[in-house]
Amino acid sequence: MDDTKVGEIERLEDLAYELRAKLLQLCGTYEGAVHIGGDLSVADILTALFNYGLHVNPADIADPRRDRFVLSKGHAAVCMYIAMAIRGFFSYDDILKTYGQLGSAYGMHPCKVQLPGVECSTGSLGHGLPLAVGMALGARHRGASHRIVCLMGDGETGEGSVWEAAMAARSNELGNLVAFIDRNRQLMTSFAEERVVFEPYPDKWRAFGWEVVEADGHDMASLVAAIDGLPATDSGRPTVVICETIKGKGVDFMEHNLAWHAGSLGPADLERAMAALEASRRKAVA
Amino acid sequence: MPVTFTFGEMLSARSVIGSTLAELGEQYENLWVLTPDIGATLVEFRDQFPDRFLDVGLAEQVCVGIAAGLAYDGNIPVVSGMLPFLSMRALEQTRTDVCYPNLPVKIIGTHGGLVGNGGSTHYAVEDLALMCALTNMTVTSIGDPLMVGEVIRQSMQMQGPIYIRLSVGKSDAVLYEPGQHDVRIGKGIVAREGTDATIFTHGTTVLQALKAADQLALDGRSVRVVDMFTLKPLDGDLVERCAAETGGRFVVLEDHLAYGGLASRIADVVLDRALGLSSFERLGIPQVYAGFGDDEQLRDKHGYGLAATVAALRRAVAGASDPSKGTR
Ligand SMILES: Cc1ncc(C[n+]2csc(CCOP(=O)(O)OP(=O)(O)O)c2C)c(N)n1
Repeated sequence: MDDTKVGEIERLEDLAYELRAKLLQLCGTYEGAVHIGGDLSVADILTALFNYGLHVNPADIADPRRDRFVLSKGHAAVCMYIAMAIRGFFSYDDILKTYGQLGSAYGMHPCKVQLPGVECSTGSLGHGLPLAVGMALGARHRGASHRIVCLMGDGETGEGSVWEAAMAARSNELGNLVAFIDRNRQLMTSFAEERVVFEPYPDKWRAFGWEVVEADGHDMASLVAAIDGLPATDSGRPTVVICETIKGKGVDFMEHNLAWHAGSLGPADLERAMAALEASRRKAVA
Repeated sequence: MPVTFTFGEMLSARSVIGSTLAELGEQYENLWVLTPDIGATLVEFRDQFPDRFLDVGLAEQVCVGIAAGLAYDGNIPVVSGMLPFLSMRALEQTRTDVCYPNLPVKIIGTHGGLVGNGGSTHYAVEDLALMCALTNMTVTSIGDPLMVGEVIRQSMQMQGPIYIRLSVGKSDAVLYEPGQHDVRIGKGIVAREGTDATIFTHGTTVLQALKAADQLALDGRSVRVVDMFTLKPLDGDLVERCAAETGGRFVVLEDHLAYGGLASRIADVVLDRALGLSSFERLGIPQVYAGFGDDEQLRDKHGYGLAATVAALRRAVAGASDPSKGTR
């Protein structure tokens, strides 16, 4: 790997750390529950997308040529808001001060009516991929060359609508459509394979005719390589990037813990979580 | 161990669901509990009857479809989850697979109304309109947490399907002492007697209606509060009685679209029976996709909070004779 790439990956790793720290800070100050487990599992993916993969411009959110990003797992909204704030779309202070308050643009699930910077309102799982298929069809029809990227949870892909959309994407040869899957192997109240059998997971997508890329969702080099390897938008096959992740990644007491699907941190727990995040970073660097 | 609860005390309706289903699981060997990954409150049942518990993951349509299949096979399935998704994603399964053959499937869920601060995807605001439209469906909306258990128990004797709507269900005010009222599906509860006007409501806003009636009492006005927890079949006789006994002055308050829910159902009775009211006002959610905010703030913002309820009741009783003039 050349030096500029190494530097780029380090920059992205720093941004992902900043994103996690800001997430924890919000989770420690906001009174209500935050979907912190599923936020932490997509922190690296969202950092890589908003700071490397997506062609988007915070100064021109209506640019018709921009890549479209659909957060289908809408419960990770706050992670997306902060990732976008780090990229320059929104003010982190605004998010921190107003999150979940009456009249705020920032709340538990993304609302396009109140926050025009997001592409669509999501939160009811299983809606994102069909929307992305429509956006991809429209783009191709008018000869536009941007990409449509949709991020889903693995549990979310239990919804039948996901597979109906997957079939439509293949049938219409939508090479401008890319799905990322946060494969953290946890749902809300169970672990994958415990109640719902997902495996052989990549083969399911292959059987639906998709190009499958398997990545480590917490390794920036792996995410960057997956993004670099995406086919041209005028190719004929949709791609899914299945990202192996850990729900709660970076905070040891949240990792692999069903209790942290959603929760809030008091001041003491916030300190503990920050220390854990710091420790996990030292371990990663060592 | 008998437990007594007092008015205003907070109790989790979800825990009542959990313990009631576990108790009924013992009694009915054909009781099944199904959920689309919303199983936290069902742990008791799951652990005691693992082979009659099914968590299908994120798959609401399939969850209701499977429940219908189980009911065809002689079982009594309970589907428990979040109502915005159960009432809408699985609507056709509910209508065609459950209601059409009139199967004893029970749909119980949380997040009815502008509650929980999840944003518009997570507020079930049109669910009662949808469910009331379905032939054979019994539709309930419950505020008092202990009543949830009573309604589930009674529903075990029912032939057809029932929809049971709750608010967030984590912390609900106890409204009634156990045994204080004769709780019967299909009958409204007169939560407070009154003669100047009636306020009809259901679910989480019963408490708000009681508080509003308290304020009117300070004005010397006597407001009847009816907890119309069954929207379908509606207790039309009670509506008629209230029209006669409270001067034909009605206010309807609900955490649901103002058009399509209880207010519309009562208006239908008023028209069908030609009750000739002297006033009728509805307080509920306007046709908007509400944003973020806590439950009370959203009710205030959208015009059906406590202050708006008091104001509506004052308008209603303005037509009644003034008690200070001693002419009643
Ligand atoms: C249609 C729908 N059903 C249920 C929910 C409630 N819910 C929110 S997150 C979640 C679990 C999602 O699991 P997964 O997609 O794997 O996300 P993650 O584990 O990464 O949080 C559930 C059941 C919802 N938001 N939408």
